[in-house]
Amino acid sequence: MAVELIGVTKRFGAFAANDDVSIAVRRGEIHAIIGENGAGKTTLMNVLFGLLQPDEGAIRIEGKDMVMADPAAAIAAGLGMVHQHFKLVPSLSVAENVFLGMEIRRNGLIDHAAQIEKTRELSERFGLKVEPTERVSLLSVGIEQRIEILKVLARGARIIILDEPTAVLTPQESRELFQTLRGFVAGGMTVIFISHHLEEVMEVSDTVTVLRNGKHVATRPTAELTKADLVRMMVGRDVSFARRRRERTAGSVVLEVKNLWARDDRRLPALRDASFTVRAGEIVGIAGVAGNGQTELAEVLTGLRPASHGSAVLKGRDLTTQSPAQIREAGLAHVPGDRMVRGVDGGASISANLLMGRQTRAPWSRNGILDWQVAASQAADMIKRFDIRARGPQDTVKRLSGGNIQKVVLAREFTNDADFLLIDQPTRGVDIGAQESIHDEIMRQRAAGRAVLVISVQLDELLTLADRILVMFNGRIMGEVDGDGADSERIGMMMAGVEAGAATGGAAR
Amino acid sequence: MEVLDKLLNVALLVATLRTTAPILLVGLGGSFTTKAGIFNIGLEGQMLVGAFFAVLGSIWSGSAFVGVLCGVAAALVFALVFALLVVTFRANEVVVGLALNILAGGMTISLMKAVFGTRGSIVGHGIVGLPKVQIPWARELLGSWAPLVSGYTPLVYVAFFAVPLLVLFYRRTRLGLYIRVVGEKPEAAEALGISIARIRYVASLLCGLLAGLAGAHLSLGYITMFTENMSSGRGFMAVAILIFSNGDPLRVLGGCLLFGFADAFSLRLQTFGFPSYLILAVPYAVALVALFALSYRSRPRIIRETLESMRKLLSVEPGRADADNTPST
Ligand SMILES: Nc1ncnc2c1ncn2[C@@H]1O[C@H](COP(=O)(O)OP(=O)(O)OP(=O)(O)O)[C@@H](O)[C@H]1O
Ligand SMILES: [Mg+2]
Repeated sequence: MAVELIGVTKRFGAFAANDDVSIAVRRGEIHAIIGENGAGKTTLMNVLFGLLQPDEGAIRIEGKDMVMADPAAAIAAGLGMVHQHFKLVPSLSVAENVFLGMEIRRNGLIDHAAQIEKTRELSERFGLKVEPTERVSLLSVGIEQRIEILKVLARGARIIILDEPTAVLTPQESRELFQTLRGFVAGGMTVIFISHHLEEVMEVSDTVTVLRNGKHVATRPTAELTKADLVRMMVGRDVSFARRRRERTAGSVVLEVKNLWARDDRRLPALRDASFTVRAGEIVGIAGVAGNGQTELAEVLTGLRPASHGSAVLKGRDLTTQSPAQIREAGLAHVPGDRMVRGVDGGASISANLLMGRQTRAPWSRNGILDWQVAASQAADMIKRFDIRARGPQDTVKRLSGGNIQKVVLAREFTNDADFLLIDQPTRGVDIGAQESIHDEIMRQRAAGRAVLVISVQLDELLTLADRILVMFNGRIMGEVDGDGADSERIGMMMAGVEAGAATGGAAR
Repeated sequence: MEVLDKLLNVALLVATLRTTAPILLVGLGGSFTTKAGIFNIGLEGQMLVGAFFAVLGSIWSGSAFVGVLCGVAAALVFALVFALLVVTFRANEVVVGLALNILAGGMTISLMKAVFGTRGSIVGHGIVGLPKVQIPWARELLGSWAPLVSGYTPLVYVAFFAVPLLVLFYRRTRLGLYIRVVGEKPEAAEALGISIARIRYVASLLCGLLAGLAGAHLSLGYITMFTENMSSGRGFMAVAILIFSNGDPLRVLGGCLLFGFADAFSLRLQTFGFPSYLILAVPYAVALVALFALSYRSRPRIIRETLESMRKLLSVEPGRADADNTPST
């Protein structure tokens, strides 16, 4: 056995995030850990990696009892962890990040050349393509993850823990990652990964462990299980992934985007000539591999990035000349793609986060004075309605599990009575039970006559939700597909840059 | 033409280097804390106690070198208190910095009264100033340009040599790297087992070291005396330079040279009979305006965005006309 966790219990106050959990991980296997948001997956891995100290229980690595007093002890025992939120230093180069904390030195000075050389060697040996001299701030999340993995490898890890590694990856990047991981186990290493994507769990893992409410539910070979089994063990009920039934209700145009161009941070055109409309009571999906202009589109529509040309008119107001506050005033609600950066203030309470943006309006404030009582009671309502797993409105957001943080953002934005909802990655890092309820909520917004624009790198999600799907490639909108009877094959071709006309069949409108 | 000649010559350059030195020293000190993610507004106070105790030490021991050591030690004590309050007890760094500045001002005045029974300044009493360093071959090689490299007090050389050393320090040493990481991404440091608190202490103390040298240079360098509040805002100027330069040694040097030049130039102007209070304000004004202009591109986003949207509003039509070539450039 590579790793054995025996009766691990971890409490935060009176609350047990892990309750007598025992798991054995065999050497040379890919072991998936699944469970709802807040089930205690991250906590368990943090205990294993020495970031948290268990209240009870023991850890055995390769048959030997170990005390993981700190991450250094875990690293020495051959463990490596890639965290849910990356910990790279943006201004440093790839090689500097990889060797941070274990710099190669000559005559007391850091030997950059040797570090670059070693990084290149590692990257070739393990098939993780990176350019060692590049600055991390210029790289995509997919590459950042490769760097995190290289960091772990450089420290000689044989057991690698990945916390939701694919949450931020495109399908293409995920596939590459899994190929790499397969290579690792083929070479005798062991991989433990946490995921909310059951398809990939079914596809790549050898064994699955299910946690629920901090307790161990089952550990079984993947081959014996179906996806439905996993769902039932995780959530305790069946969850439907079918396309949502709907009536055509599209009303008047709420958002009209015309010939919109924008540049990315490197001043290169990232959004090219996008034109589309979103009507009241319809959901328009934007599909595409991450990094094809979706971020820039969202940023322009929310006033966070200037457009270089073109217009985006929301109910008669051109957004390209307005500040973010004015745009919100005009009727936009925005669920940002990166919740930790633009979605929440991690250090503040749930009520404070839910209050943000309406602090000047009644009933939250009267005569310029905030009414925290109202804020707290409203927050309590929203916590119930959106099933946010927290102890109460005063909980610090940073303490919540990843999926529950996402729900805080959704709760705030969906209760804003905005006519236009821009939702970037609605269910990133959210468990399938919660995915279902978030999708329900989006459908409810649609039924209430809101215009909804959903950007997602998960095509399945758009196929369930969208009335129309626009496919983006290299900053352009390659074509439009009707949500009913959409052909994922064809959308895939368009995502790869094949023109709509050249793909099989005409536009389905 | 004659006026210009009088204003701009080798002597002016020499004066510039000389006046740059103290602010450069304290600015480089602040670079450590800035890089480590601490906003250190206490530079002024550290410099002031450095200056005062340098004078004391020099009088007591009769040696300028011991004086410098005393000044550095005093500044280090202040830096240690600063780090203790800010890092260990997590007090607000601006409040602590300001409090220590006020303490430094008051303390030097009352000690002056207690020890020397005077107010205002300490002159004489056998203060030994720092010697001037004469570089032997300078005269032969450079002729009339010699004063540019030779004949300064030692701390001027220390200040300018510290610049490349700091560049090397941040790029090539482990401590320098960790200081940067702690300032930029503390969670990364923590995850790798680098103690954030320890690095911040070290950065604070390194800062105190250089601030103490800066103070000693003020009181033992060219004028051997101590006057009440003798740092006269140089520490604050350094803070401004640090904000604009983000603590990068080369950019700190640039900012300090600018200030030093303005300072030297205004002293020059004094000989032309301008009112002295106006002249004393010149270096500060010049440096601030220039820094603002230099950091044009990193101005607060809000100003930039306002300008950008104004430009967009004004040029809606032309923008439309060259629509096709704009994005492809
Ligand atoms: N430092 C902490 N203090 C208090 N409670 C905590 C802390 N860390 C985690 N928790 C709580 O423990 C529970 C389990 O959290 P954990 O992060 O392990 O969930 P998870 O299974 O990883 O969920 P997700 O899939 O959303 O990431 C949550 O209810 C969370 O609020
Ligand atoms: Mg988690």
